[in-house]
Amino acid sequence: MKLRLRLALTTIAVTIPMVVVLVLFDAVARHRAAEEALVGYTLARMQEPGGRDRCEADPAGWGGELPPGHGPPSRAGEDLRGREEGSREAGDLRGRAAAQGEAGDLRGRGAESDLRGREAEPLRGRDSKQSEGPEKLTGPGEPRGRPPPPLNDGQPRGRPPPPLDDGRPRGRPAVLFAYDAQLRSANPAAPAVAEPLAAAIATSEVATWPQSWPQSWARSWMSAEVEVLMRMPWGSGPCALVLAQGNTVPGWLGAVLPPTRIWLAPLVALFAAVLLAMGPVVGRIRRLTEAVRRSASAGYASAVPIDGDDEVGQLARAFEAAGQEVRAQLTAKDRREAALREFLANTTHDVMIPLTVLQGHLSELLEGASAGSAVDRGALVAAMGEAHYIAAIVHNLAIMAKIDADAPRLHREPVAMGVLVERVLARHRPIARRLRVELDGAVPESPLHVDADVTLLEQAVSNVVYNAIRHNRAGGHVAVLLEALADDRFRLRVVDDGPGVAADELARLVERGFRSDAARTRAPDGQGLGLHIAARVAALHDLELVFSSPPGGGLQVDFIGPRICAEVADSTQAAHL
Amino acid sequence: MAERVLVIEDDHELGRQIVLHLRRAGYEPTWWTEGRTLAPEEAAGLALVILDLMLPGAHGLDILRDLRARSDVPVLVLSARADTMDKVGALKLGADDYMTKPFWPEELVERVRARLRRPALQREDTLTVGALSIDRARRVVQVRGRAVELTRVEFDFLAALARRPGAAVTRAWLAEQVLGPEREGSERTLDVHASRLRKKLAPEECIETVWGIGYRLRAEPSP
Repeated sequence: MKLRLRLALTTIAVTIPMVVVLVLFDAVARHRAAEEALVGYTLARMQEPGGRDRCEADPAGWGGELPPGHGPPSRAGEDLRGREEGSREAGDLRGRAAAQGEAGDLRGRGAESDLRGREAEPLRGRDSKQSEGPEKLTGPGEPRGRPPPPLNDGQPRGRPPPPLDDGRPRGRPAVLFAYDAQLRSANPAAPAVAEPLAAAIATSEVATWPQSWPQSWARSWMSAEVEVLMRMPWGSGPCALVLAQGNTVPGWLGAVLPPTRIWLAPLVALFAAVLLAMGPVVGRIRRLTEAVRRSASAGYASAVPIDGDDEVGQLARAFEAAGQEVRAQLTAKDRREAALREFLANTTHDVMIPLTVLQGHLSELLEGASAGSAVDRGALVAAMGEAHYIAAIVHNLAIMAKIDADAPRLHREPVAMGVLVERVLARHRPIARRLRVELDGAVPESPLHVDADVTLLEQAVSNVVYNAIRHNRAGGHVAVLLEALADDRFRLRVVDDGPGVAADELARLVERGFRSDAARTRAPDGQGLGLHIAARVAALHDLELVFSSPPGGGLQVDFIGPRICAEVADSTQAAHL
Repeated sequence: MAERVLVIEDDHELGRQIVLHLRRAGYEPTWWTEGRTLAPEEAAGLALVILDLMLPGAHGLDILRDLRARSDVPVLVLSARADTMDKVGALKLGADDYMTKPFWPEELVERVRARLRRPALQREDTLTVGALSIDRARRVVQVRGRAVELTRVEFDFLAALARRPGAAVTRAWLAEQVLGPEREGSERTLDVHASRLRKKLAPEECIETVWGIGYRLRAEPSP
């Protein structure tokens, strides 16, 4: 669902129940106010001097419609009146109903002047003979056919209230009927008392329709009719009970809501404002979506435009940051791929050369054997040397792939260095023997352990040893010494008496692809990867790798680093690694 | 009687070569081209198992686990992968050693021999190394039964070397063992003693100078 539609629907979904509840509450409030007003007025009328007498003198004719402007002001009436312009003596609902509106005017006039016409003249004070009213008013010409006559309480009305016309609908005027204690009325027009009221009056002074939720709310909502049954203080006679019927003003509101519909205006304005405010936001989100899509389709190469400092702006910034991260990752990946391709190409090249040489040696040997000549030992040794060299390159390739990752993962375990040195010596001893290089090693009597990745460290040591063998000459020596130093450190020294490396070239030995000039002339194959790997592995293990030229020539390479205390190493299962 | 070695290797050419070289070295190899459970009676006479980790159908480590559950026979693992996990895993499962392919046949034989080398049965006080017999309690040395008179330093020198026959030991370690710590110019003094000792032991050439390291006592008698 689109954002704007969702917002509109949400606003409507929230607003409609709110309006319904308000209107319902307004109806209930009006109902209550009308009831209170009816009670207040009826009691006042009965209790004013001569009120009871008037009723008991003529219970059948007493009551009827209340005249306009009559009745004591009640609190509810004041409340209501406060909202109306113009002040009236009796501003309650009943007063309004009686004094205002077409029907009220007519009835009022009818009651007063005994006319059924529609003169617009204001209501005048009625005559004091209360007996006149009912008879006249119950005539057939009653506009709404209602039997109750206009009010004839016998009170002179010298000052009729001005007609009120605020354009609001007015209800019927209220009517009163007198009953005796058995709920019988002398007035033939009096309606039968409803069951709930009859039941309620038995236990209280004032009976209204049940006020409990939800019946009373539903009643207030459904109908404008208000009925109150009151017990008079004397409790006997034909006027023991008085039923007051009235209504709330049908039509629009007025109890708690403003009577006109102006209150809908802010609601509509709010609704419009929400939609208007959403417009630019929705537009910006659309533009942002478009920009992100464009950027994604271009491999995140283009930037996402950022406007504004609000949430949409922040979203754009987050997209931009994510895009930058993706760009960086892609660049890094491309770089790694390029490096790997180049590395593979170089390595392939470097493997192919010794393989070709090896093939050459083998062909030579076969030709010699076919010709029946003696076996060429030199060719055999050279072939073995090439094969050994190829193995070293392939091992280094695997190691390089492992440590060239951005975050190389080391699998560290306690490594028994003595065993490692023995393995390295065993690996190279056959080829050293063929090359007539004396290869020896010495390890301390007690085992010496180092926390390391055994594959990496072994290959690093192997590279240094093989380097010393390869770049030596027949009759040369290579010695590997493993020693425990003080402060829980160890030193693995590989020393040879080969041609060595010039002092200014020592520091560059570990650069990838570097070979000293002398080495290049002697051994034109190889890429100098071995020592580079040794340096990388040493760095990964926090080992010092020191190249030096020992007195008497040759090259001396020291791995120096921490060793594990004997007790710790002994307790580990992999102590013989 | 030749020691029996079980070779579990699926590659026919490599297996053939391994078997050939083991036989030449005086062992009695049995060759399996696939891993399977080792019966107890089969395991009984075995001196060593050479196990390839990359076998079709079954991983070498599973075979090793199964093997270890039944037997204590030494296991030498062959691995083509430069993967630390494999090696550490094999050693933790009870392998005794590993070798990474490729390897030279003589390297393999040397490793098998090192694994099967048994310490010579000897009385605690008397060491027999090659042609030498060294009685540490009585401080007496015999060469092929002939008693040789040695000075205290010379005897200590020889006894220190004899602690690890066949292994090179450094001058520094020897000097510390023989001459005591912190003696000035001790390593040169050591060479003088070695020279005298050689003369006394002649014609037996049992003390070798190791370049860059120090000395070594030959484990085998000179021919």
